[in-house]
Amino acid sequence: MADQPSLWDQLQPEQPEQPEQPEQPQTGRPQEPPARAAPRILRVTDLNRRVRSLLDADSVLGDVWVEGEVSQPSFPPSGHCFFTLKDANSQLRAALFREELGRAVVRPEHGMNVIIHGRVRAYEPQGVYQLYVESITPAGAGDLHARYEALRRELAAAGLFDDARKRPIPRWPRRIGVVTSPVGAVWRDITNVLRRRYPLVELVLSPSVVQGATAAPAVVRALQRLYAQEGLDTIILARGGGSLEDLWCFNDERVVRAIAEAPVPVIVGVGHESDVTLADFAADLRAPTPSAAAELATPDGTQLTTILGRLRDRSTAALLGRAADQRRFVEAEERALVRLSPDIGAARQRTADLIDRGGRALDDRLERRRMLLASSHDALRTLSPTATLERGYAVARGPDGRILRDATAVGAGDPLQVILARGTVDTRVEKTTGDGTEDLIT
Amino acid sequence: MIDDAKLAVLTDDELAKHPFDELVVALQQTVQRLEAGSTGLEESIELYKQGLRLHAACETRLKKAELTITELGRRGVTGAEPDEA
Repeated sequence: MADQPSLWDQLQPEQPEQPEQPEQPQTGRPQEPPARAAPRILRVTDLNRRVRSLLDADSVLGDVWVEGEVSQPSFPPSGHCFFTLKDANSQLRAALFREELGRAVVRPEHGMNVIIHGRVRAYEPQGVYQLYVESITPAGAGDLHARYEALRRELAAAGLFDDARKRPIPRWPRRIGVVTSPVGAVWRDITNVLRRRYPLVELVLSPSVVQGATAAPAVVRALQRLYAQEGLDTIILARGGGSLEDLWCFNDERVVRAIAEAPVPVIVGVGHESDVTLADFAADLRAPTPSAAAELATPDGTQLTTILGRLRDRSTAALLGRAADQRRFVEAEERALVRLSPDIGAARQRTADLIDRGGRALDDRLERRRMLLASSHDALRTLSPTATLERGYAVARGPDGRILRDATAVGAGDPLQVILARGTVDTRVEKTTGDGTEDLIT
Repeated sequence: MIDDAKLAVLTDDELAKHPFDELVVALQQTVQRLEAGSTGLEESIELYKQGLRLHAACETRLKKAELTITELGRRGVTGAEPDEA
């Protein structure tokens, strides 16, 4: 088989772990004359490279699932992990690089049965082939689903998922704690939602890795950092979507128990709608996604202006109602006053009438009096002695000054005063005769 | 809590510095007292003025609000993972 420079070139940038050896292949090959009978002598490097290219070209080895038992794992300072994967008859070297180790659900332990997804490649400097691990999960009896179910039953029996434990989410939070990864879409989504929805809140981010073997204790630590904070109203625990393995730390008993111990309500928003973890069960409120968790934790600020406007309108209406009440009250009072008060006009009219009638009555009476007086006056004039005297009669007064009516009342020599119509005459009695009745008028 | 006595002495600026939820609660209570109708006309007018001030303070808070972010143990974070879906 001929060399395949194109394949070589392709491989070149994918070998960061190998020291660069640029000069050898480039200088060697183009100068090679067409092969004769002489055996072709390869350098070790070339051979290893050839083996490697063979392995890389194999479609099965490039994407393989393999089950085995972990043996003698080592964790050098580089952060990578190396171990041997074996079964009863055979063994295979395996490398788990730092990045994949961080994302792994389990940390390889000696004797652990695992299923590994990865690819087989040659490591040229040492002339070995090994399994490069992309993901590692426990196998067999320790399979994820069985562990999930067992733990769910156990924690449910312990009462951690009871509805009675669930607390209401504060409606107007001032400080919200968030446990999530500070890098990536989730934190960005949460802050975006809150900026748009309720920027009045203060977010306290307690960063944590949220996947891999170290995630569970990290999440617990991050939660506990928040528990030590004063004045938090709500805590959001969030992570974006991923595989069952990616989300595994949210099924970890330590995480679930830490959520159940939270001093303030916890909203868990992990993965997508369909991902339900044990953390969701322990939460006071489960949100289908991280963004939804942010929404459930806050009032909708975009509607607040409307709500506030409604409150203002209600107070205006109440005040106007109050004023209208007062006006109605005053009007009713006024009507009552009018109804109950004496009718002054009518009274005045009555009074006027009365005075009128009184006046008239008085006038009549006066008139009658006047007429009576006049007639009396006439009568008096008729009866007056003056008139009688004018007719020639006279009045005689005796010595005692009394009007003399009987001749026997005086004797001869008694002084008499005779009153005439004009003037008086003083005289003396000569003699008296009879009783005078017969000739009085003569 | 924001009560009548506090409202009487606070300037509008000072009022707008109060926590938003306290302002909203005070506004709600003011409206409820107005609606109860047990206050006289003079007092109702005072309550109404109070309500307008609280409403303005809420609006100010809403307009000026900017999300505050505090990060705990900034330096203690290691092993940040790649972007998630």
